[in-house]
Amino acid sequence: MHADGAAARVEGHQEMIPVRSYLRILGKYLRPLRRRVVLLTVVALGGIGLQLAGPQLIRAFLDGATGGKSPSDLVPLALWFIAIAVFQQAAKVWATYLSVDVGWSATNDLRADLAEHVLHLDMGFHKSHTPGALIERIDGDVTSLSNFFSAFTIQVIGNMILIGGILVLLWIENVLVGLGVSVFVVVILAGMVKVQTIAVPRWKAVRARSAELMGFIGEQLGGTEDIKANGGDQFMLARFTSILRQWLPEQVRGRHGFSMLWAMGITTYIMGLTVVIWLGSVLFNDGVMTLGSVYLVFHYVQMTHEPIEQIRAQMEDFQKAGAGIARVEDLLERESIIADTGTSRLPDGPLQVAFDKVTFAYADEGDDGLPVLDELEFTLPAGRILGVLGRSGSGKSTLARLLTRLYDPQAGAIRLDGTALTAVPVADLRHRVAMVTQDVQLFGASIRDNLTFFDHTIDDERLLAVIEELGLTPWLESLPVGLDSRLEASGSGLSAGQAQLLAFTRIFLRDPGLVILDEASSRLDPATEELIERAVDRLLENRTGIIIAHRLATIERADDILILEAGHIIESGDRMTLANDPDSRLSHLLATGLEEVLA
Amino acid sequence: MTERQAPTARLMAGSVRYVPWRYLANVFLWSTIWLMPVIPALITREFFNSLELETGTSPIGFVVGVLAYGLGRMGVMFLAMHNDIHLEFRVSSLLRRNMIGRIYEMPAAQAVQGSPGEMISRFREDVDHVQETLSWTVDMVGAALFGVMAVWILGGIDRGLTLAVFGPLIVMVIVAERFGGRIKRYREEAQTATGRITEAVGEMFGSVQSVKVAGAEASMVDNLRGLNDRRRRAMVRDKVLTAGLESVFWNTVSIGTGLILLIGAGSLAADNGLTIGEFALFVYFLGFVTDAGYFVGIFIARFKQAGVSYTRMVKLLRGGSPMRLVQGVELDLKDSGSTEQATAGVAQQPTAGVAQRPTPGATQQPTPGIAQQSTPGIAQQPTPGIAQQPTPGVAQQLPRNAAGVPAGVPAGVPVPDRLERLEVCGLSYTYPDSDNGIADVDLSLARGSFTVITGRIGAGKTTLLRALLGLVPADSGEIRWNDRVVPDPASWMVPPHAAYTPQVPNLFSMSLRDNLLLGRGDSEDELIAAIRTAALEHDLQDMPEGFATMVGPRGMRLSGGQVQRTAAARMLLRRPELLVFDDLSSALDVETEQTLWSRLLEEHRGATALVVSHRRPALQRADQIIVMEAGRIAAVGTFADLRESSDAFNALWAGISNGT
Repeated sequence: MHADGAAARVEGHQEMIPVRSYLRILGKYLRPLRRRVVLLTVVALGGIGLQLAGPQLIRAFLDGATGGKSPSDLVPLALWFIAIAVFQQAAKVWATYLSVDVGWSATNDLRADLAEHVLHLDMGFHKSHTPGALIERIDGDVTSLSNFFSAFTIQVIGNMILIGGILVLLWIENVLVGLGVSVFVVVILAGMVKVQTIAVPRWKAVRARSAELMGFIGEQLGGTEDIKANGGDQFMLARFTSILRQWLPEQVRGRHGFSMLWAMGITTYIMGLTVVIWLGSVLFNDGVMTLGSVYLVFHYVQMTHEPIEQIRAQMEDFQKAGAGIARVEDLLERESIIADTGTSRLPDGPLQVAFDKVTFAYADEGDDGLPVLDELEFTLPAGRILGVLGRSGSGKSTLARLLTRLYDPQAGAIRLDGTALTAVPVADLRHRVAMVTQDVQLFGASIRDNLTFFDHTIDDERLLAVIEELGLTPWLESLPVGLDSRLEASGSGLSAGQAQLLAFTRIFLRDPGLVILDEASSRLDPATEELIERAVDRLLENRTGIIIAHRLATIERADDILILEAGHIIESGDRMTLANDPDSRLSHLLATGLEEVLA
Repeated sequence: MTERQAPTARLMAGSVRYVPWRYLANVFLWSTIWLMPVIPALITREFFNSLELETGTSPIGFVVGVLAYGLGRMGVMFLAMHNDIHLEFRVSSLLRRNMIGRIYEMPAAQAVQGSPGEMISRFREDVDHVQETLSWTVDMVGAALFGVMAVWILGGIDRGLTLAVFGPLIVMVIVAERFGGRIKRYREEAQTATGRITEAVGEMFGSVQSVKVAGAEASMVDNLRGLNDRRRRAMVRDKVLTAGLESVFWNTVSIGTGLILLIGAGSLAADNGLTIGEFALFVYFLGFVTDAGYFVGIFIARFKQAGVSYTRMVKLLRGGSPMRLVQGVELDLKDSGSTEQATAGVAQQPTAGVAQRPTPGATQQPTPGIAQQSTPGIAQQPTPGIAQQPTPGVAQQLPRNAAGVPAGVPAGVPVPDRLERLEVCGLSYTYPDSDNGIADVDLSLARGSFTVITGRIGAGKTTLLRALLGLVPADSGEIRWNDRVVPDPASWMVPPHAAYTPQVPNLFSMSLRDNLLLGRGDSEDELIAAIRTAALEHDLQDMPEGFATMVGPRGMRLSGGQVQRTAAARMLLRRPELLVFDDLSSALDVETEQTLWSRLLEEHRGATALVVSHRRPALQRADQIIVMEAGRIAAVGTFADLRESSDAFNALWAGISNGT
């Protein structure tokens, strides 16, 4: 396979990547399934042996028939032939069972690993990837890989062994025939590999577009009210069509990659038949071969046809899987920019918080890179409650995201009780630092699973105790099946306030030393807010708290106040002191706020 | 609810009617592909016959024939594939387009049931499955033709043997039929299991921040593992049954060959019996005939599976004829030239097209369609009298958002449609499978008034807005726009009559500009004005790309407050007669909220506002406050009235004044 041009070299290079990826991923996920793989191999090889034996019986039969043997001598051969056929099929079904089972077991592990890996990727990644697109990658792409693990390994590798067996038998039969058929098989397989390298990138494009389309549809499904009530439906339909319009030419290119493979299949057949006709008639006329032997060669060459066709058919899955695996690799190679290398431990109890010249800018594409927080510096003693105020966009929410290490600052350091955040394992950190946002995310699952995030090690007793403490027991009892009641992902059946309380329960189940409430009490009616206030009192008991609020009322329980503007602290200090200072920003806010909002 | 089986065959016929010529071409091309192998089969027979007769014929003639056949087959194959791609693409696109179209027709708050992930699997797996099955119908025609041809050729050689070849085949097809039901059930289980996984993965990443902050990655993944395992078992069952059936089919080749040997033993041994060439022909056809039988069997199974997929898709249509799924819609897939244009993609107006917009003279326009306003016929024709085209005939064909508002003209509707008074009588709606909802709501909004709906969580505030806007279908009650009954609120209460900002607004992964416009052609000045009113202008200044800023999936790149104000700007840009806010202020700080209200009242004078809020600035500005309690109106009045007379209001007010 010498490259005949720059383009071919590039394609050759592309072809190498999936092959290596296949081997790496195959090795990793099949290792635990070793025993079933061995059994699969044995069963598949047995089937192939039986398949090779069949034509030998036919030759004996035909030579017997033309050589004047009586039908009664021929009948046992025919019966043996049928028996072999039956056993061979049994082996085939068994092998299918094993291969599908192995394939799904292996790819299930890959799915789970991939999901875990992606969950750990930074928020910058998640901001630019819709859940719909991730579904396509984690399930769609990996499912096309499961074909590689099962159908592909057994069909392609099994069929290659079958072809190898046929070639060996033909070499034994006649050197010239063996050579002729071998050359044709090698040429065909080389051609297929070549064609496949052209086709894989095309499929990659098709799948990427498919992910885009599904992402679009997912968004549409989530935003029907916005679209309809603002008259955007025709626009969205037009946009849908425009995505389709861009998709069509890629589909055509992708599928014609498959046409090329099929053309290779036809070539296979033509070449095989030509070889048989040419060599068969020459060798028969020279008296080297019997009629039965010519038929044997014919039959074996025919037998290469089906495996090559199957390899060809699997190539389509192989192409899809190739595109899939390239994208899976791509995902697996992506690393979170949040390095998790810390080993220090945080002490129990309330935590002291210190920001040391912290500068941060969102580095996602599309962001301006201007600092959201600029050399921010403050210390919050353990056990105290800090109220953070500022316009939306002033950096308040960013503060919370940095404390939970959803992002890392570009400069400066954040310390909890003197330990830098980066020195603590991320999982430990998030165990000790809890955050509630206004937008409580729920799952289409039972209340229990919603509270525990599917962690089955948390028993009901503990859950019920926490629910009781939060005053949610009457509500829980009103549900038909208590903790087993199902919530919808959209949160329907649950008021915003109840969703908030559920979020508190999630936190109560841990024992954080720092609690961050980010706009936690917005969008609630006063009665529910009161319930939440009580819960917040409990939540903040003997803990350090940071309350990020847009409304003055929310921070009345704060000991200290921090007012942010454009990433800078424009005021900070003891709340009462500031409130009593007529020149302070806070008292100004309270004055306008109280007149306009609270008075 | 009873689940009706979708009419698979009729739906497929509907798809065929959408692309009749491509389908016919496909039938012709793929039949040719099925029939062509007869040629090399006959060549092979002649070859073996020539050997057996020991004529010493040169192989050149045979070789040339084989090569010519190969070239011909490749040509036909490329044509057939090409046609097939276009056929499948159009068929699947139509299904997807019609599902989305239907979703937009339904009351928006109820259009989507089930999780997005599970819904997406209908757009993905189910559509793919149906599209492939349809393209297989062509193979069925080819297989039938090939069967006839084979019987004719083989029957001419030896009728008894031919029967022995076809006998097992027929038995196999019957077997497949009998197993079909089980395949369908297994497939359904596998599909459900897949739906669960898509759902779980979708939710996992939809809530990624919560999962991270809770440090719950491991337990979430464990849950996924459990679901994965359930699907594996379903898949194994499905695949093994399918493989078993396939194996039975493949076995017919070998067993058929064995039968030919067994039955034909005497004939082959005899001098004037079966020749080796004819034996080869039999075996050769056996392969293709079982191939055809195999295809038929698989097709039957697939056809049944397609029924499952169709049923799932039809369920998404929620009522209406299943045939809506394949109702013809012009998709315009032709122009694939520039991607730029494709993204702008609005049927009637490219984004830059403000200048060339037809100058309508909204006010002098004769007012078509008003006389019919109160007739029920309006329900099907959402746009009479709205579009500003001079000829009424054209107007009715316009999509309802086509009425772009010319710069500087404050009102977007002809004078008779200007809102003077909106009245609601006895409006009731109860959510399915629950007792929640609203009952017997009466209200009246005068032009230019500011009405605030307040009440506790679950009092029915949002539901009232939804029912009024037609986002949920009212069970009973009447909405009157200037004394004319609105027969179909969903198609009337849209711009330029009304626009809405939901409680948790959704943006879409497009530019800020596209999010605001949603297909309208407003000028830069109008955009800037709307942004200013919504108090978003500082945020916009901080975005280096300005209106071209991509907001990310669901607007995730913007802060919560920015999303909400963007949604408000989106609504304001439409200059609707009626502005409907559902708790707009929830993600806004004190100063921003005040700015927004005062700008709104100043710049949209004449517009009528209906606002859900329990915040002081809104309540004190209100011309009218409506207090909701348990789905009913508890009190109506001005702030002062209610303070004096309404216990319900005072109870709420106590909560507000306590500063919580």
